[in-house]
Amino acid sequence: MLTQTWAMLVDAYRELCARKLFWITLGLSGLVVAIFAMLGLNEKGIAVLWWTIPVDEFNSTLMNKTTFYKLVFQGLGVGIWLTWVAAILALISTAGFFPSLMESGAIEVHLSKPIGRWRMFLTRYFTGLLFVALQVGVFTLMSFVVLGARGGLWEPRVFLAIPIVITFFSYIYCVSVLIGVMTRSAIAAILLTILFWFMLYILNTTDTVLLGFSGGRERVVEARAARIERMERNTRLQLIEAKKVEAGEEAAVEYSPTDEEIVAAMPVIARERASQESDQSALKSLQFWSGMMFKVKTVLPKTAETTQLLDRWLVKPEETAKLQSKAEADQQERQEEHGGPAMSQEAIVAKLRDRPVWWIVGTSLGFEAVLMALAGFVFVRRDY
Amino acid sequence: MSQGDGDWALDLSHVAKTYRGGVQALRGIEMRVKRGEVFGLLGPNGAGKSTLIKILMTVIRPSRCQGTMLGRRVGDQGTLARVGYLPEHHRFPDYLTARQLLHYVGAMGKIERKDRVGRIGELLEMVDMTDWADKKLGSFSKGMRQRVGLAQALINNPDLVLLDEPTDGVDPVGRRDIRNIVTRLKNEGKTVFLNSHLLSELEMVCERVAILLRGEVRLQGTMSELIDRRAGYRIRLVPEDDMAAARATVGTVVQGGVELVNRELVLKTADAREVQPAIDALRRQGFTISHCWVHKPTLEDLFLEAVVDPETGEPMHVGAARKVRAG
Repeated sequence: MLTQTWAMLVDAYRELCARKLFWITLGLSGLVVAIFAMLGLNEKGIAVLWWTIPVDEFNSTLMNKTTFYKLVFQGLGVGIWLTWVAAILALISTAGFFPSLMESGAIEVHLSKPIGRWRMFLTRYFTGLLFVALQVGVFTLMSFVVLGARGGLWEPRVFLAIPIVITFFSYIYCVSVLIGVMTRSAIAAILLTILFWFMLYILNTTDTVLLGFSGGRERVVEARAARIERMERNTRLQLIEAKKVEAGEEAAVEYSPTDEEIVAAMPVIARERASQESDQSALKSLQFWSGMMFKVKTVLPKTAETTQLLDRWLVKPEETAKLQSKAEADQQERQEEHGGPAMSQEAIVAKLRDRPVWWIVGTSLGFEAVLMALAGFVFVRRDY
Repeated sequence: MSQGDGDWALDLSHVAKTYRGGVQALRGIEMRVKRGEVFGLLGPNGAGKSTLIKILMTVIRPSRCQGTMLGRRVGDQGTLARVGYLPEHHRFPDYLTARQLLHYVGAMGKIERKDRVGRIGELLEMVDMTDWADKKLGSFSKGMRQRVGLAQALINNPDLVLLDEPTDGVDPVGRRDIRNIVTRLKNEGKTVFLNSHLLSELEMVCERVAILLRGEVRLQGTMSELIDRRAGYRIRLVPEDDMAAARATVGTVVQGGVELVNRELVLKTADAREVQPAIDALRRQGFTISHCWVHKPTLEDLFLEAVVDPETGEPMHVGAARKVRAG
């Protein structure tokens, strides 16, 4: 049994090594790590080798060197390189895995061996993930060395990037496998998977925007509620004081201003209440759509949230507190300039961090399991 | 002689395959292949030969299938470890060397590495590819690929070898080598099931053949049975003789009738005693006999005879049968 599995693994490795794209991706990974190693942070700004690019807002006063390297690794290395560029290259490299296996003349050699079709299908599937495993493994190892040598941080949690990126890639790879098995075309598998991925990106962006706006609106509503309460209290006190002057101390003790009197005395409260009502209604609507988006995303793979798990586990919130506050301040400034409730970056980060890991990974793997079952069924039942 | 189940390498009955869309590729194949014999499967394009082989190798699921392969039911996965298979139009990965391919196929056949190493050397030697063992398959010619394909079919030292068009794209020397390998396999007691369009190749190595037509076995038997049954004397006269008169003369003295084909009298007997009265009658009537010999049909003759509709005398349409739908 192991002989067959090992043979399929070795064959997949040879197939990958035979693809130029595998080496191109590996070479580019090396380049990305080299650039990563060239970067640094000092009190004046960002350092590139021996030169410094002065940046007033972004220097070592904002965060320490270790956090800077962690953020570069997570944000650029994993967030952009591994989960976008390298993932697309991996998708192109592996899209032909099943179509090539199922080609007439090739499949016969495999199916005529004493191996079950389900086992063959699953082994082939896992060997397809080998591409990403090798790429991420090499990239993470090189990054680990750079983090240690340049940032002084020998952090083993960096290696969490390997299972996280493989899991993330498996979400989209299962779509590619299903299309590949159904159409036996690598091109169709690449194009339709990228289309699906793009759809996930749109959904994810919409989710983030809804979370941001709903968080921003929540903040506005809470602030206004406090303001209205403050105005009401002050107006009430002013009216009691006026009553005291007008009718004496005794009458004032029993006097309690009505709401109409308070609004008549302070008309801005009416305007504030109207705005509050409108904002509350908008907030309710935003929360409804955000809830809907959450439900929709529950049945779909959560690519972005999965890769952000590394951020959650690698970078502690207090490490980026200053950076976060600065971003929030910038946003508030923009809000004041342009008016209206803006997105709250803080709310996005908080709400995304609140989403449980089981929901992010568990439901995504559930989606993957369903697609794999479907693809496996087609593969197993087909006549070749 | 009646044979037990254990004596048959293949014992098939009611093997049928209907594809989606109603195309009947196989319509109830009945076929038996003895252990240790070389069996040839013939048929025009689309007759269902490859479908039958693919069913045996579990590549295609039959609509119906009763029977056994090496004593176990057809489709049993364990049996596949004892079967070798060379598919038609095989596509082996270009990135592998011949040796790597054999290791891969051997491992998929559950052969341990230590057992594979020696076996691979022997097989590469057998197919005359030792010098190319560590070259990538991508650089091989069709004939070289076919040789490696044959080696991979034998990697598990199988009891039954199914070869689908093994001489496809192979030069005459290669074809002779493949014939020798088939003979060697037979001598080692292995059963070889050959599917080929090259009838002369089959004729040279097969002991028994079956001709498939439109998903059914049209003809089946040993080469001697099939050929001897159709063997007959032929008599050629000098050009000046009147052939129609000669035919009439022979017709009166020979049972089973006589035909005139290409100015030759064709008798339906290969028995020398039965042909003597014909010779006597011809000589009595003054005809001059220039040649007299026993003609044995070739496999091609048998094949062409089998694919002719006996009622119309026209060649039957090749290809699979389409299911007749009720109503």
